[in-house]
Amino acid sequence: MARFEEYREPQRALEGLKVVELPSLDTMPFLAASMAAKSFGDMGAEVIKVEPPRIGALERTLGPFRDEMPDPETGGLHLYLNTNKLGVTLDLARARGRELLFELLASADIVFNPNRPAPNEKLGIDWRTLVARFPKLIVVSLTFFGAESPYKNVRGGDLVATHMSGVGFETPWHQVIDPPNQPPLKLGGRQSDYLTGYTGAAAAMCALYGRIANGTGQHVDVSQWLAMIGMVRPNLGFYSHESHEAAAYKRLGVRVKSAGQWVYPCKDGWVSFSAGTERFWQGAKKAMEHPEWMDSELLQTVLGRAAHIDMIEAGLIDWLSTHTRAEAFEKAQAEHVPCFPVHSPADVAANEQYKARRFFIEHDHPAAREVRMPGAPCKFSRTPWRIVRGAPRLGEHNRKIFGERIGLSETELATLAAERVI
Amino acid sequence: MNKMPLAGIRIADFGWIYAVPHATAWLGAMGADVIRIESMRAPDLVRFLTGTDGIVGANRSGVFHSINTSRRSIVLNLAIPEAQQIAREIVAKSDIACENFTVGNLSKYNLGYEDLVKIKPDLIMLSGTPLGQDGPFARTVGFGPTTQAFAGLCHITGYPDSFPCGIGGTWPDFAVGTAMVFFLLAALHYRDRTGEGQYLDLSMAETVTTMMPEAMLDFLMNGRDQGPIGNRDEAMAPHGVFPVAGDDQWIAIAIASDTEFAKLCEVLSISSMATDPKFAKLVARLKNVEELEREVAARTRKFDRDGLVAKLRAHDLAAGPVYKTEEVLHDPAFVESGMLLKLKHSEVGERAVPGLPVSFSAIDLKYSGAPAIGENTDEVLRELLGYSADKIARLKEANVLF
Repeated sequence: MARFEEYREPQRALEGLKVVELPSLDTMPFLAASMAAKSFGDMGAEVIKVEPPRIGALERTLGPFRDEMPDPETGGLHLYLNTNKLGVTLDLARARGRELLFELLASADIVFNPNRPAPNEKLGIDWRTLVARFPKLIVVSLTFFGAESPYKNVRGGDLVATHMSGVGFETPWHQVIDPPNQPPLKLGGRQSDYLTGYTGAAAAMCALYGRIANGTGQHVDVSQWLAMIGMVRPNLGFYSHESHEAAAYKRLGVRVKSAGQWVYPCKDGWVSFSAGTERFWQGAKKAMEHPEWMDSELLQTVLGRAAHIDMIEAGLIDWLSTHTRAEAFEKAQAEHVPCFPVHSPADVAANEQYKARRFFIEHDHPAAREVRMPGAPCKFSRTPWRIVRGAPRLGEHNRKIFGERIGLSETELATLAAERVI
Repeated sequence: MNKMPLAGIRIADFGWIYAVPHATAWLGAMGADVIRIESMRAPDLVRFLTGTDGIVGANRSGVFHSINTSRRSIVLNLAIPEAQQIAREIVAKSDIACENFTVGNLSKYNLGYEDLVKIKPDLIMLSGTPLGQDGPFARTVGFGPTTQAFAGLCHITGYPDSFPCGIGGTWPDFAVGTAMVFFLLAALHYRDRTGEGQYLDLSMAETVTTMMPEAMLDFLMNGRDQGPIGNRDEAMAPHGVFPVAGDDQWIAIAIASDTEFAKLCEVLSISSMATDPKFAKLVARLKNVEELEREVAARTRKFDRDGLVAKLRAHDLAAGPVYKTEEVLHDPAFVESGMLLKLKHSEVGERAVPGLPVSFSAIDLKYSGAPAIGENTDEVLRELLGYSADKIARLKEANVLF
């Protein structure tokens, strides 16, 4: 017999928490706060997204748009990043706008602020002011370089953070054959914005536990640049352990091929493939039905293989040229060798694995009609990820929040709207 | 003095390689008692990835030491049932268990979620795998760098209209590991309110796909299958990496408005371009992007990298040097950030390793150097499980503690 709890509406992990998300005031797209707040909203926290009146949050102006027709209410990025959020508008440059913000912060647990110290100070919403005024509040700064850094007011963003971190220099590393004409490369999309978002979400939860332990809020300083540097974590300690003459040390300084672990062309596209360890090398031998070139004396040790990577690549590409992505994937994985098809977004959307796990979710949005989008970044068995509310229209919840919750009258709301505070 | 946020929380950490150890490094720094369960029978590959001062050994990998901070290590040879029982006893006294083996591997040792939840009903357990616990391809093996191909990221990373590329920094292991911290603490928060634990099934590919909404939604809304666009951006130009004086020296410049473009032209002494109809407005710059990039590159070549960065920043433009890791370590702001720690390791002494990229105004993060393999075996068995010295000696004799 089914237990009672199976009939309950599924709970959500972060129900009861209140989050306020401030808009980025920079012309440089910076979506970290939006991603951090989405993470909380999708887990059940109440998120109030504060947007500038009339123009709205920056992601409303960024594509993709349906049929490439820009519309601030139906852009893909807005629909995706603002799921499960309540939307209000506030002009933070106006004193009345800031007063209302402070009303929101008075009952909030966490605020995500994506702006540099200089604009914050100008508005009187810098972290010191907020922490002093709201001792229980967790104030999360998500900035290009960190709110206390010597670079705190330097402008950055996805491109700059990627390339100042060492990640860009290493991309695409093993595929560089003509360094002067192949500059270091950034990752597709806005990876460092979203990484910074997840970093901010993780750090905010840590600070929340700090508040549970000690009763007080605090400032959390999240730097996009440092978050990206964290992605080359293995390199960072390497330098203190190895001499300058070590092979791996030298390798970090030049963009050349040095390991058999990247993406290679095959019969109908590309695959990723790793034969980097002894076990994978032996597995690759079986998967490829033991070609003669793999018996070469030069290739019998890990070091030997690293030194003759061109030989391996030539052999591998030759084998792959007679295999489709699906065939290479199946044969390699049968021998426990890491090999995956390189999927385009279309391939991902149609993929059986993603389908079987119901990763993409269908969502009926009032302004945008049916939308399909990526769903849970992690499957929770008891508190499943779900969309309770689609992305808000600009100012959709002004009445609910400023009227019902803060208690402004209809007349006051009308005046604020007329004065363009909300 | 402030209490540590996660004081009193214990984590049975079966993780290895990068993603899960990165997540538990965060939790350990927050004061959780992270007990890493490992074995010389099947040691973490990273323990032998590099060797301090050129000598390779289980306790000499600088890469391992960089990631496995703030934890204890116990060795358990899980091939032996008695070791499995000890692991279960540790889990019974833990709040969280986490692992990133191939699907089903821990179940072979009777240490799957279905086994562990019987002895610890409110357990939170996270399994991180390339493609998740179910579905037709659940049993695949892979590291982050190979898995991101499946997730679509390699396809949109590359030079314009060119082949798909691999990504540096063993992306996305540490990005996913960071997200894991959020998921685990969200589950912990739920348990603390309701008394209910749960199982977290993380597919690395899926987490990566949540980080590429632009390309995914362009396909899902418009049927447009995006390819790589190099360092470019669809709404900014110039937005790229340009050569500067010297061999393989580069600068990254991102221009977000027409006003910013005019400032760039001033710094590069190409002011006529700012009023040239071919470049003055964003739409025109995007249309003529190749010519634009050629013109900019022709000018940047004449500058020394750091000098040009300083000039552009003085004009409030987004620009930065393209760094190799070693240069990151020497950047004065990185040095001042305190992200690089000096931690003591029992075999190789005090060395510099990275801490968290985040700082907190009211938490002093708790850092300790990576443990030697099994460094805390006796201590954990004695203090946590109350084993006698005799029993521990017998277990060592029987290769259970190996």
